[in-house]
Amino acid sequence: MTDKRFYQVLVPAVVLFGFLPFGLGSYHLHVVIVSLFYLMMASSWNLLAGYTGQVSFAHAAFAGIGAYTSGILAVRFGLNPWIGVVVGTMLAALLGLAVGVLCLRMGGIYLSLTTLGFSEILRIIITNEYEVTRGTMGLQVPGLFAEYSKVGYFYVMLGAAVLTLIIIYRLIHSNIGLNFRAVQNDERAAASLGVDVVRVRVLAFTVSSALAGMAGGLYGHYLLLITPEIPSLDQQFLVLSMTVIGGMGSFPGPIIGAFSLEILSEYIRAYGEYHVLVFGLIALVAARFAPNGLMGLAKDRLVRRRAPAKTVAAAAKS
Amino acid sequence: MFALAVMNGLVIGVIYALAALGVSLVVGIMNVVNFAHGELYILAGYFSYLFAGALGVNFVAAMIVAVLLVFLFGLFVEWVLIRPTYGNDMYSLILTFILSIVLQNAYLLIFGPYPNKPPGWVGGATNVFGLFYYGNQRLAALAAASVVIALLFVVIKKTWFGRIIRATSQDREMAELNGVNTTRLNMLSFGLGCALAAAAGVILAPVFPVTPTAGLPVALTAFVVVVLGGMGSLWGCVLGGLILGLVENLGAAFISTGYKHLFNFIILILVLLIRPAGLFGRREA
Repeated sequence: MTDKRFYQVLVPAVVLFGFLPFGLGSYHLHVVIVSLFYLMMASSWNLLAGYTGQVSFAHAAFAGIGAYTSGILAVRFGLNPWIGVVVGTMLAALLGLAVGVLCLRMGGIYLSLTTLGFSEILRIIITNEYEVTRGTMGLQVPGLFAEYSKVGYFYVMLGAAVLTLIIIYRLIHSNIGLNFRAVQNDERAAASLGVDVVRVRVLAFTVSSALAGMAGGLYGHYLLLITPEIPSLDQQFLVLSMTVIGGMGSFPGPIIGAFSLEILSEYIRAYGEYHVLVFGLIALVAARFAPNGLMGLAKDRLVRRRAPAKTVAAAAKS
Repeated sequence: MFALAVMNGLVIGVIYALAALGVSLVVGIMNVVNFAHGELYILAGYFSYLFAGALGVNFVAAMIVAVLLVFLFGLFVEWVLIRPTYGNDMYSLILTFILSIVLQNAYLLIFGPYPNKPPGWVGGATNVFGLFYYGNQRLAALAAASVVIALLFVVIKKTWFGRIIRATSQDREMAELNGVNTTRLNMLSFGLGCALAAAAGVILAPVFPVTPTAGLPVALTAFVVVVLGGMGSLWGCVLGGLILGLVENLGAAFISTGYKHLFNFIILILVLLIRPAGLFGRREA
C-alpha cells in the first residue's frame, strides 16, 4: 500500500467512525471505546511481534505503567491528567528502552522471559504498595474532562488510535521498517549488510512500549478506576489473541482482531466464569490452525479465487 | 533464624532445580521455551491430590500415576501444538502462553480458587544438627527431589538415550546424519521436560498447596534459573536452583516477605548485565 492509498482508506474510515456517537447508545459507545483501546494495544504489539519477531509479555504491563503513573500523579500531586498521560507515555518508553537494552543483545527468548518477569514484578509491587496504588481495591482517578462525557472520550480515543496507526504505518514503511523485516527474516544476513540488529530491535520495543503506555494512560482516565487488571497477564493474553487471530504481521490484522474479539467477548461474557476459558480455546485453535489469522485466511481465499485453475493444476502435478 | 532460612532455601532450591532441568532439557534439544511449564507442575499437584487425597490411593502410586499422566499430556501437546511450529521459535512461545492461560482457567473451574493439597507422606519433625526442628515432610521432599535429579543425571550421562540427547543438543544436523530420529526425540524430550515439572509438583504439593495460578511464580523462577545457569546447561540448573532458593529465603527472612519474588528478578537483571550467557552458558546461546 502506498502512502496515498493508506490515507485514502484512513480518512473516510475515520470520518465515518466520527458519526458513530450520533447513532449509538451509551453501552454500545462504551464497547467501541474499549475496542479502540484494544486496537491501540494490539497494533502496537503487532509492531513488535509481527514486524520484528520479538514476543513481549509486558505489553499490558506497560499500559499499566502509563495508567498508574498518570493516575498517581493526578491523585497525589493534582497534576493535570493530560500532562499525566504524556509523563506516563514517556516513563513507559524509558522502561521499555531499559528492558530492551538489557535483554535484546541475547535474542528473542530472553526478551520474552524478562518481560514475563517484569509483568509479574509489577503486579507484586502494585499489590504490596497498596498505600500508593490502593492495591486490588483500585485507584480512583479524575477524568480527562471537568464534566464526564462519553462522547468526549470517544473522540479522544479515536484521535489517539489514529495517531497510533499513523506512527506505526510511517515507521514500517520507512527505511527503519525495512530493517525491521530484514531482521525478522534473516538476522545474520541483515547484520552482514550493515543493519544494527540490536538497535533496530530496541527501537521497535521502545516505540511499542510507549504506545502501550499512552493507550493505558488514556484508558485509565476513561475508566476512572485503575486496578491491577490493566497490567495483568489476562489482559496481555487478550491483546496477544487479538493480534494472532486478526493476523500477526499484517497492518489491518490487529484492527480487525481488536474489534471482532472485543465484541465477541461482550457476547461470551454472559457465560460468566467460562468466559476466559472459551476465549482461550478459540485463540488456541485459531493460533494453531490459522497462524496468519483472519487476514491470512482472507488472502488465501482471494488468491484461490483469482487463479483457481492454475493452482489446482500445479497441485495436481506436484 | 539464619540456619532455618538456609534449610528452607535448600529444600526450595532443589525443587527449583528440578523444575528448571525440565525447561533446560527442552531448550537444549528443541530451542523451545514451554511457557506452560508451571501449569504442568500444578496439573501434577492436582492429580496427586485427586488420587491420594480424594480417592485414597497409596501416595507413592498416586505420585507415579500423576507424573506418568503429565508425561503423556506433554507428548500430546508436543504432537498437536509444538510440532507444526518447528523452525519458528516465537510461535511456540505464543502457543504455550495461550495454553498456560487455558489451563489456569480450566483449573479454576474444576477445582476452584482454593488451595488444594494431597496428604503428607510422613508426619512429625526432626531435630537438625541440634539447631532447630524441621518438618519431616520437607526433609522427605528434599531427599526425593535429590534422588530424581541424580537419576536424571545418570540417564543423561550414562545411557544410550542420554548420549542421543547430548548429541542432538550439541549439533542437531550431525545427529540426524547419524540416524537419530529427531522428531521422535523432540516428542520424548518435551514429554520428559513436562514429567520433570510434574515430579517437582508432586514432591512439593504436600508442602505448598496448589492453586490455579501458583504455577506462574514457579515457572518464572525456573526460567531465571535456566538463564542464570546458562541455556541448556544441566549443572547450571542445579547450581542456579540452589542459589535462587537460598537468595529467596534469606531475602524473605531478613529483608521482606512480600518482595520474595523480586529478588529473582534482581538476579535476572544482574545476570543479563554482567554475564548474559549465564554461569555455564555456551557463548552463542
